[in-house]
Amino acid sequence: MNLNTQKRWLDLNLRRLLLNPVNIALTILLIVLAYLVLWPFFQLVFETLTWGEGDRRFSRDAVPGEFTWFHWLQATASPISEKMLYSPLINTLITGVIATILALSAGGFLAWCVVRSNMPGKGWLQPVLTLPYIIPSFAIALAWETVFRSPKVGGQPGLYESILGVAPPEWLSYGTVPISITLAIHYFPFAYLLVAGALATIDSQMEESALISGAGKLTILRKITFPVVAPAFVAAFILTFGKTIGQFALPFLLGAPVQFHTVATMVYANLALGLDSLAFVLAVILIVISLISIWLSNRFIKKKSSRFETIGGKGFRSREVNLGQWRWPVFSVVALFAFVVGILPLILLAIQSIMLIDGFYGLENLTWHFWTGKSNPDIAFGEPGVFHNNNIIGATWNTLKLASLSAVIASIIGLIIAYIVVRKSDNLLANALDQIAFIPFLFPTIAFGAMYLTLFAEPVGPIPALYGTFTLLVLISVVSRLPYSVKTGVTAVTQIGKELEEAAEVAGASWGMRFRRIVMPLASSGLTSGMMVSFVGVMRELSLIILLITPSTRVLMTAGFGYAEEGLTQLSNALVLIVAVLTIIGELILWWIGKGRMTRLREKL
Amino acid sequence: MADIIIRNLTKKYGSETALNNVSLEIKSGEFMVLLGPSGCGKTTLLRCLAGLETPDQGEIIIGDKVVFSSADNIMSPPGERSLGMVFQSYALWPHMTVRDNIKFGLDVLNTPKNVSNDTLDSVLKSLGMKEFENRYPSELSGGQQQRVALARLLATKPPVFLMDEPLSNLDARLRMDMRVELKKFQSESEATTVYVTHDQTEAMTMSTRVVVMKNGEIQQVASPGNLYRHPSNTFVADFIGMPRINLINLTKKHKDGSVFINKDVQIDVGWVPASNEIVLGAHPEDLVVSKKEIPSSEKYSVTAVLPNGPETIIQLTRGKTAVIARVAHDSSFNVDESVYVNFSVSSLNIYDSKNGVIIEPSNN
Repeated sequence: MNLNTQKRWLDLNLRRLLLNPVNIALTILLIVLAYLVLWPFFQLVFETLTWGEGDRRFSRDAVPGEFTWFHWLQATASPISEKMLYSPLINTLITGVIATILALSAGGFLAWCVVRSNMPGKGWLQPVLTLPYIIPSFAIALAWETVFRSPKVGGQPGLYESILGVAPPEWLSYGTVPISITLAIHYFPFAYLLVAGALATIDSQMEESALISGAGKLTILRKITFPVVAPAFVAAFILTFGKTIGQFALPFLLGAPVQFHTVATMVYANLALGLDSLAFVLAVILIVISLISIWLSNRFIKKKSSRFETIGGKGFRSREVNLGQWRWPVFSVVALFAFVVGILPLILLAIQSIMLIDGFYGLENLTWHFWTGKSNPDIAFGEPGVFHNNNIIGATWNTLKLASLSAVIASIIGLIIAYIVVRKSDNLLANALDQIAFIPFLFPTIAFGAMYLTLFAEPVGPIPALYGTFTLLVLISVVSRLPYSVKTGVTAVTQIGKELEEAAEVAGASWGMRFRRIVMPLASSGLTSGMMVSFVGVMRELSLIILLITPSTRVLMTAGFGYAEEGLTQLSNALVLIVAVLTIIGELILWWIGKGRMTRLREKL
Repeated sequence: MADIIIRNLTKKYGSETALNNVSLEIKSGEFMVLLGPSGCGKTTLLRCLAGLETPDQGEIIIGDKVVFSSADNIMSPPGERSLGMVFQSYALWPHMTVRDNIKFGLDVLNTPKNVSNDTLDSVLKSLGMKEFENRYPSELSGGQQQRVALARLLATKPPVFLMDEPLSNLDARLRMDMRVELKKFQSESEATTVYVTHDQTEAMTMSTRVVVMKNGEIQQVASPGNLYRHPSNTFVADFIGMPRINLINLTKKHKDGSVFINKDVQIDVGWVPASNEIVLGAHPEDLVVSKKEIPSSEKYSVTAVLPNGPETIIQLTRGKTAVIARVAHDSSFNVDESVYVNFSVSSLNIYDSKNGVIIEPSNN
């Protein structure tokens, strides 16, 4: 082949590569995601290392745009560091660790009961046990406040005081204890799911052989079961911890009244005070902690998978442990627990939302005013009830719009990315796309919000300043859902054999026709459930968007947060209850879709 | 209906060479089987023909159309090569009914509705699948799924069929039935067929010619009979045949003689091969085994007796040389018994032990 033909050959190959629709999509997605995921992080770090306009207040040397260590020094080694960084950091770590230990103990015990024991009532206990994770964490915090509110910090007494006649000790109302407990309540289902997954992979034959060797039940649990799930336990610990530190609304509600701050709430507080750069420093620190914890958990998961490869295709079965006479006592404990953490908070919110004066328990105090009432200057500063409140109706509309738009966009982009990742698994760029799409998972949501605040505050080139627009909310919601929707998409696309597409290709179908008639229909059930997951996820999101919300773009969660800040507890309870109910409905639909698919599959087999 | 010509095809995956300068001509209407161990490049060759893989070098001509040429920058997409393909998994679209699965290819060609309906009806009828037309693939048995995959070929009637191990997912009995059905199907459709398999029985029973491949290179192209009788090198000899051929390393006893020996045995091959060091290839049925002494035989001892229905396989050893012989099912040999063995000279193949290539076709 001479030089000329070689060149023509190259040209042809290059043209074919460039005109391939998959390659075009790959290139565009890489550029867009790099801008929406990587660049905001650099921008955030950059902001912490340069003087801002507002810094002229603090230092005469401030030259906006110039490099400086000022903000980092201010955060780590100045008179305010203790208040700004160290004490919130310690609070974050302490509440995070306590919450994780509690969540993991409860989750581990429940997982064992549900997966491995013959406890009765598993079928309906399981969904109730996952409720606290499904509803917004904010709801649990509100419910806690309803019970343990202390008049010392102002406002009406809570249920505790009304019943017992004495105010609860302050440590039970605000600070480390309530934050740790409510975080644990919110996250134990997460730990539960992780541990249950690990427990389900244990082959009972391992335990049975120990049984035959003469070991007792407790010995087996201690010497066989626990060591095998231990690595998963450690990984679950770190992952749960990583999630707790990014929580904003919950610690804010139960900590701020007594000046108890975590790093996440400090980010918000500093932004409210106009100390933007300091807030960004804290956001960077939050990201670093999150990165370290996820890196650690990955190490443990890797170790586990190489050392304890227990999932075999053959001879695998799981035997239930007989609880004997403990069956019903265990059931009662679990059921009571499920009621207290899963259902009671919602009942409390509901009751609270129909009380005229909160904290005063009696039939004559009940009113539908906060739901159906019109504006009355004597009640709640004249805020009308939910159904007449334009603010709330607007927020509801915004919520549904935001959740459905983000869910649809995230799922379709997720499917396209997944398609590229699966079908071009040997392509370096496709792998890079996969990695970038996963990165939002590593950012604590409030830090991610802070990034977008810095990135879209001012117009950059052709991109307008999106701050304050609804578009920005959709954008950040979509990007934050991508790690999940790509994962769902990968599962869906992997199940579509490559040969199915090749058969269509040999028949002469173009890429568009193949995607439309083969890939989309086959991925649709996975796509639908992925959409529903995103819908629910976006709907209950608060910390991600709290920094980006303006009055015209408010959603239910931020409106509820706003009312809670203003002390209008009935309205905030009502709103959070609405979100909780909507998310539960979403989950039910999801469960129904899943069940429908299962039955359809079973019919065919 | 269409010849296939493959010239100097090379395909590399990184540093792995999947196809090394492969050339092959397949005549119109032929049933050509690509046979070889896994990783030999047979599937890659098929996928290059289909256009699902792009070769690095070479040329492919299907009918009178050049579908791939590295010299002329031609790479036709699969849909423009006028071929149909049956995949190992059948690749039936699970969300479409049997009828829609078959219809897809017609839709791509924008076939008018009435024509397409008539075609579908006749195809479904000819394969006996009419009553299943509204079922989904998951509601069919393996054999029925196989038929739907074939029906997809019949609907568009391409002149070339490509089949990638289409019977490997069926159980042994059904595979037998489908072999017969497939062979009939192919000869009726008259399409040039390229069929990939690693199962030599499939290759031998169905093909008009077999291509044996190894490490991306063609070892031999021959009719099934010739392939069995005259494997062109020791790899092919060793690969074809069940039980395996006996390959015995021997040295010429006297210069220009026809007698070859090793430490244990001595065999007169009946002619004088050019090489002094040879590998003798003798099929198990080429050994004459007798309890009584026969001319030019040697004494072996029976080390294993494996009855297998119509035949019995026995293992014989003399010193460290072990051979397998195939004897009638009613013969009664016992382990440790001494027997006399004579090689039927006319059926032996002789290979040069240096490169394993056949020296000269044995004269039978």
